[in-house]
Amino acid sequence: MNTVNVSRRRFLQTSAITGGGLVVGFAITGCSSTPAPLPVDDAQGAWTPNAFLQVLPDNTIRFYTARSEMGQGVTTGLATLVGEELDVNPLDMDIRLAGVHEDYANPDFGMQGTGGSSSIHAHYLQLRQVGANTRALILEAAAQDLGVASSALATDNGFVIHGASRYPYAQFINTAQTLNIEADAPLKPAAEFQFIGKETRRVDAIAKSTGTAEFGLDIDVPGMHYAVVVRPPVVRAKALSVDASAAKLMPGVTDVLEVGSGVAVVAESFWQAQQAAKKVAVEWQSGPLDRVSTETLRADYAKALDAGDGVEGPNDGDVSTALSGAATLHEAEYWAPLLSHSPMEPMNAVVRIDGDSADVWTGIQFPSAVPGLVSRVADIPAENVRFHQCYLGGGFGRRGTPTHLVEATQIAVATGKPIQLVWTREDDIQQGPFRPASLMRIKAGVDESGNLIAWDATRAGGDISPDTFRSLLPALYSWMGDSMIEGVANISEWYFENFAADESSTEGLFEDYDHPNTRVTHMTVDHELPLTFWRSVGHSYTAFAKESMIDELAHAAGLNEIEFRLQNTRNNPRLNNVIRVAGEHMANMDVPAGHYLGFAAHHSFRTDVAEIAEVSVERGKIRVHKVTCVLDCGQAVNPDIVRAQMEGGVVYGLTAALYGGLNLENGAIKESNFHDYPMLRMDESPEIEVVIIDSGTKPTGVGEPGLPPIAPAIANAVFKATGQRLRDLPLKLA
Amino acid sequence: MIEFTLNDQPVSADVDPNTPLLWVVRDHFKLKGSKFGCGAGLCGACTMHLDGAAIKTCITPVASVEGKSVTTIEGLGTPDNLHPLQAAWHEHAVPQCGYCQSGQIMAAAALLESNPNPSGADIDAAMSGNICRCGCYPRIKRAIQSVSESALAYDAMATAGGQA
Repeated sequence: MNTVNVSRRRFLQTSAITGGGLVVGFAITGCSSTPAPLPVDDAQGAWTPNAFLQVLPDNTIRFYTARSEMGQGVTTGLATLVGEELDVNPLDMDIRLAGVHEDYANPDFGMQGTGGSSSIHAHYLQLRQVGANTRALILEAAAQDLGVASSALATDNGFVIHGASRYPYAQFINTAQTLNIEADAPLKPAAEFQFIGKETRRVDAIAKSTGTAEFGLDIDVPGMHYAVVVRPPVVRAKALSVDASAAKLMPGVTDVLEVGSGVAVVAESFWQAQQAAKKVAVEWQSGPLDRVSTETLRADYAKALDAGDGVEGPNDGDVSTALSGAATLHEAEYWAPLLSHSPMEPMNAVVRIDGDSADVWTGIQFPSAVPGLVSRVADIPAENVRFHQCYLGGGFGRRGTPTHLVEATQIAVATGKPIQLVWTREDDIQQGPFRPASLMRIKAGVDESGNLIAWDATRAGGDISPDTFRSLLPALYSWMGDSMIEGVANISEWYFENFAADESSTEGLFEDYDHPNTRVTHMTVDHELPLTFWRSVGHSYTAFAKESMIDELAHAAGLNEIEFRLQNTRNNPRLNNVIRVAGEHMANMDVPAGHYLGFAAHHSFRTDVAEIAEVSVERGKIRVHKVTCVLDCGQAVNPDIVRAQMEGGVVYGLTAALYGGLNLENGAIKESNFHDYPMLRMDESPEIEVVIIDSGTKPTGVGEPGLPPIAPAIANAVFKATGQRLRDLPLKLA
Repeated sequence: MIEFTLNDQPVSADVDPNTPLLWVVRDHFKLKGSKFGCGAGLCGACTMHLDGAAIKTCITPVASVEGKSVTTIEGLGTPDNLHPLQAAWHEHAVPQCGYCQSGQIMAAAALLESNPNPSGADIDAAMSGNICRCGCYPRIKRAIQSVSESALAYDAMATAGGQA
């Protein structure tokens, strides 16, 4: 391996400095010359020992969750970590969604961002330490106040116990806030865990079952007006001429103005804005994307793969020689289309500007981006931007791109009104950013003993990092001008095209199996479509190619699909073990006549997952009856949420595998809403069984790793059922 | 002026009669529990009850509910007084992002009202107008089954048996 990958993730890791106090959770702001005040709620008499916790006089234990809650259960998970050591049941905590502050940085990213299935892994020790240190201070204060040795005290769910007496933590907060902690308190051994690894409910389930959980769309501030944007059919096209005369006469309409992405219509209600938007006539500029269709996209990728002059990723051994000497040689091409994330809550943001300060409400995966973006657009100091995080009505990567926030701020500045900007579902499906389309070719060889000896993998398609730079650099670096940002993005495009693959373009294509001779080549083909991470990012397409190819090789060599995988994953022992356990489950399944089992396994986001899809083909339609998912994610902090995330990854991946695919025609996305961009519904949802291998190591990701194996598992089952090898997503029988 | 009953209270709204009920409830009456997902009656996030039946309110003109009774998620139960389905949603840890769940619960409540003992196929049929991108379907189904009449009767029998 001789190339350097400048990756999205490494960019995030190095772009900001992590807080670095010696005592975790207490001196985090200590390195900063002027630490910003914590954006916590004022509460009379409350003790705020750190950015994450407040103890109120009535013994309410308030927890500020630093990661964005988009359904993955991170709030419950993080509350469990802090609660385990603080000795407070997470279900008894008063949960708040944190604002923006450096103490809320994701330790993996160095900034406040949620993604990459990183949160529990990144905060596992930090938040436990925060809980342990806070408890230690309370115990020390209690010892002083009660005049006993702290060794004579214990705790129980928010109470200090001394003999038969129970004292609420709150009783000692006046003394506690006069104390300093000298060294980190010891953490509990796993054997003493009372919440971590136990079956507990979600902290947000009641709010989310009673309509009381507040999403960005639910924000309502006095004087708020509603905005929608008339957008070009071809993304990023600019308006040449606008006739808004009819729209301005519509009831409730107060303003019509051009913003960078289209024409904004502002009205007293959303419905009025949406009706008036239909009356806006716009002539859009034409551009190179006008000539691009789904077919040209794929043809351009194929041409690039034929030319073969991309950038090399890992290049180990001698692939050509190994391939020519292989007992079994196989080659195939796989296609994955453009996809929309389509979270159930369309993009939206509320922005209220008041003189040189602003309030912003939205649910976003990168809160760190908010002050900088609003400051840049509204020309107010970033420290005067108050961000109010909301629950995210689905994220899946989509809520990492803050275009809607820029639009809402532009409109609020121009109109002088508090604005709620709402994207319609059509905007969501047609405007992107999208999961990139990919064409992948793999050529592989197996020797006579069943050893995988050569793996020659290529991928052509767009890269997501340049657009990530475009959307996050303006937010993170206020000193960068627009032309400099565009310059950096362009340099990154040039770099990925000519020097090294963008990590997410090839991740997952080559890492899992032992092949001494490996070559990975990447061809960036850029049609200037907006692209971004989509649940499981590159793995969402590479796993389909890789696990289909492994299955094809096993069949071509006449080898058992499980044995072949086991034999060739010895260098990845955790993946190997997951395959072994899943293989045993598969061997013991009762399979009804006409049903077939397909297998796939994949490592992503530090977690190993194998899935078995039980599939039948009825009247030309693929039907998935049951999915068994076996995983090792280290310590499962909340096993039921791990199961839920695997279920969610499977269902999200099933929609993509069976239906997903956006089509371009003259540069415009043809699909527009759920009638022509269908989603899996309950009547097609399979039974899902999740088997968690408890390896007890530090937790690894669960939000994304359940997704990659499902498409190849189904395709591999369809091959057994029909003899047809489906290599294009979505899977369609001939 | 359109008059109807909203969560057992008589209400009136002076709005364009073509305005979908969803937006009248959300923006005029400020009840934000019902959600906007597609604006085309395709996803069910906006589901409310109209005289007890589940309807997609993003495509229901408010004029068409004149004189009728509308129930929203806020009228079904509250955090301090949960409807059995809401309690089951908590017990089975159904919600992930939660955005679609008001609509899911309203669809489920209408189903159980008309069919207290639904089969799996009945549940599939009644719930397939509601999309969940997080993939909560298996849990939604389990939660509905747990409060079906036969499940409750079984629980009651088990409890009685346990006490005997």
